[in-house]
Amino acid sequence: MKVRILGIAITAAILVVGFTFWRSTTNPNVGKSANFAAAQHRGGQIVTSGRAAPRTFNRLLGQDQLSFVLGVVTQGHLVRVNYETFEVEPWLAEKWDTSPDGLTYTFHLRQGLTWSDGVPFTADDVVFTLQAIFDPKTGSYISDVLTVGGKPITADAPDPSTVVVHFPAPSGPGVRLLETLWVLPKHKLEAALKAGTLAQAWSTDTPPSEMAFMGPFVIKEYVPNQRIILDRNPHYWRKAADGTPLPYVDRIVYEIIPDQDAELLRLQAGEIDLTQSELRPDDYVPAKRAEDQGKLKVTEIGLSPMADAFWFNLKPEAWKSDARFAFVQKKEFRQAISYAVDREKFAENVYLGAAVPIWGPVTPGNTQWFWPDLPRYTHDVNKAKDILKSIGLEDRNGNGIVEDAQGHEARFTVVTQRGVGWYERGLAELRSQLAPIGIALEPATIENATLNQRLVKSDYEAMYMRFGTTDLDPASELDMWLTTGDAHFWHMGDTRPEAWETQIDALMKQNIATADQGRRKEQFKQVQRIFSDNLPVLYFVAPRMYYAYNVRVEGVKPSVLRPVALWNADMLSVR
Amino acid sequence: MIRFLLRRLAFALLLVIAVSSAALLLTRLAPGDLTSELGPRARPEDVARARERFDLNRNPLAQLGGWAARAARLDFGDSFLYDRPVSPLIRRAAGNTAVLAATALAIATFLGIPLGVVTGSRSSALAACIRGASLVCLSIPPLLASLLLVFLASRTGWLPSGGMTSVAAIDAGWPAWLLDVARHLPLPALALALPLAATFERLQAQAMTETIHQPFVVAALARGVTWRRLLIDHAWRPSLRSMCAIYGLAIGALLSGSFVVEYVTAWPGLGRLMYEALRARDIYLVAGCAAMGGIFLAFGSLVSDLLLFAADPRVREGSGK
Repeated sequence: MKVRILGIAITAAILVVGFTFWRSTTNPNVGKSANFAAAQHRGGQIVTSGRAAPRTFNRLLGQDQLSFVLGVVTQGHLVRVNYETFEVEPWLAEKWDTSPDGLTYTFHLRQGLTWSDGVPFTADDVVFTLQAIFDPKTGSYISDVLTVGGKPITADAPDPSTVVVHFPAPSGPGVRLLETLWVLPKHKLEAALKAGTLAQAWSTDTPPSEMAFMGPFVIKEYVPNQRIILDRNPHYWRKAADGTPLPYVDRIVYEIIPDQDAELLRLQAGEIDLTQSELRPDDYVPAKRAEDQGKLKVTEIGLSPMADAFWFNLKPEAWKSDARFAFVQKKEFRQAISYAVDREKFAENVYLGAAVPIWGPVTPGNTQWFWPDLPRYTHDVNKAKDILKSIGLEDRNGNGIVEDAQGHEARFTVVTQRGVGWYERGLAELRSQLAPIGIALEPATIENATLNQRLVKSDYEAMYMRFGTTDLDPASELDMWLTTGDAHFWHMGDTRPEAWETQIDALMKQNIATADQGRRKEQFKQVQRIFSDNLPVLYFVAPRMYYAYNVRVEGVKPSVLRPVALWNADMLSVR
Repeated sequence: MIRFLLRRLAFALLLVIAVSSAALLLTRLAPGDLTSELGPRARPEDVARARERFDLNRNPLAQLGGWAARAARLDFGDSFLYDRPVSPLIRRAAGNTAVLAATALAIATFLGIPLGVVTGSRSSALAACIRGASLVCLSIPPLLASLLLVFLASRTGWLPSGGMTSVAAIDAGWPAWLLDVARHLPLPALALALPLAATFERLQAQAMTETIHQPFVVAALARGVTWRRLLIDHAWRPSLRSMCAIYGLAIGALLSGSFVVEYVTAWPGLGRLMYEALRARDIYLVAGCAAMGGIFLAFGSLVSDLLLFAADPRVREGSGK
């Protein structure tokens, strides 16, 4: 009898739980589109999230993604790149004049600007920031960006509202470079610069009262490993179209959620409003389901300007006397791989169809620099086999793998980052698509720290991964293009560049020193053509980017560059 | 008793030194170092500066010696990830983990032991159901359990699906903050407690079954003691010996289980801190977290010994000799 009663009780409990669960996943607004009000609302808070904690609040030092996000939300610069149009637009400077030689920019600051603590913002702050960036004791990475022709950009302040910026040599990106000049408050940091301690200033345990900001929000509190609270800057300068002050919301809370799966669940549950990154391919379906339930808005941003890359280590020293280097260093070998890959199928299997074929590092997502007429390697397995045969690689022993006359097989270990689903799928797809031409790939997934170390030390045979970017201009990728660059990843420390690499070096050096944007585009087309012919790195598809956010947030204009939504934080509001 | 406590204290000190030193050395010798966090595009001068600051240019033993000398003065070095001293980070995280672990341990104890008494003392449909549930809880890895609970919480809205406090509690007073923490606790605590409760249930059941077949229990039964009184007054206490012995290990298990649970549920505790430190090879933070983990383990072991001391007269008599 007791057992029967217990059984009835358990069954009843299961039914109650099941019914509640069903109710919670069924929204009465299913199928209804979001009904946005014409005017944006004021007040309230946005809860956003990211997986990393900040290492520093010092914008001259923080190179990680979160530092960049915090810079966008709390700091100011003379000009900014609009992440919707990718054009440079006036920011703290109302306008600027360019000298006929393109070497001098005179910026006229907006009138009446003040820091978040009420102290007036002047041209001296800009001059001070440049001094701080180039002070060797600061060790700011921004000094590299603001060095043109081997010399630093300088500035002087003829009056409090005018800054004259001098470029030591012509610069391709020109005024665009100054987007990285995040202006710091001289009244707060001058003493630290004089004492040589600016590198230690504004660490994550600095009291917010010791900092001052020009951005729409100020740091109110940081709770380590939990959240950063950013309050509205009462002295923010920007106004809405109707003349009312911005930002619209009173507060942004940045929650630190290390696990991306948990982050998605919390987004679906309405506990967070925005994330810092686009949806992963596998997250599209659950996000779309949440959209159908009226919880999220899912939007296609466009094609990603970044693509997964596959390359062989082209540093001869890394292979020592390994005979296989004789294959990988031949461009024909890499071309055969490019012909062998069916990019449509690759897009289907790796990105569930949400990707388009590409043949070079610049994707159609980079609307300003993409060259649609770049020569293509259309899928042709027979042609790939013929090319391999022409360089002495064929399957002589009938085991399905091509080898040279001495019997050295084209078998390679390819490393990629563990835990990134599309890397692992991409590598598996590549492996299966190269098997028919007799190239054997053995995937090895390793954790990020080890992967980075092996990359820097050139300790690998082949690699599959993606590099991020913060700007679409090729000048921002100079460290990758130049053989002397620190991120020339397929051949680190390249001291004996081949002829085609020397050509790219020369063209890129011209490119960054050419102010005429038309000429720059022609030069960069040549770079892409040479790169595509020699294929030191192979690219297969550019993924489509989708972004999901809470339907209560208004004014979101997702960008292909990160931060996807917070780049216009001052224009966001909540219903 | 004092000698016993002093012995345990010396053991705890040795454990902490051994664990933290091993953690530092292993982190140092593992492939990759903290400069990998700067990314493949890091400037060589930034890499060199980081290596210098975190003593990565010294040989591992010299680095360990330097760190130990500083640690003796309670300076555990700086964290690379957080750019601040390790000690306050660990203190804060350890406090959060202690709250979580204590809650999980309480849930596991009050759930596992009574259920173990039930399943160990009789065969019934209820006992079979409990045994089945225990096996399920033991089989589910903490990662899956936490993801499942986060999923349920996010779908039903019954509980917050992560974090230790909610955004709404930011400007609230202490009472509201405490209530908010209490609302966030059940999810990670259950993820940690369920496998532990299942372990307790299985062990208690086994100990109970063995105890009720002991001659003194059979004799009590023959004297006409009721079954319920027999279980509570005669069998339960002796059966606790094996439970007491594994309590210390349980605390250690809670700490290792909290790695993944804290990570998935975004609980800002020691497990998550150590996981992130390990991933980034944040060498001094790893060593500091390991030292604190050693303290937890030593504390658990001490609690276990004291419980055994209280539960088993033979231990008391042995220590008095």
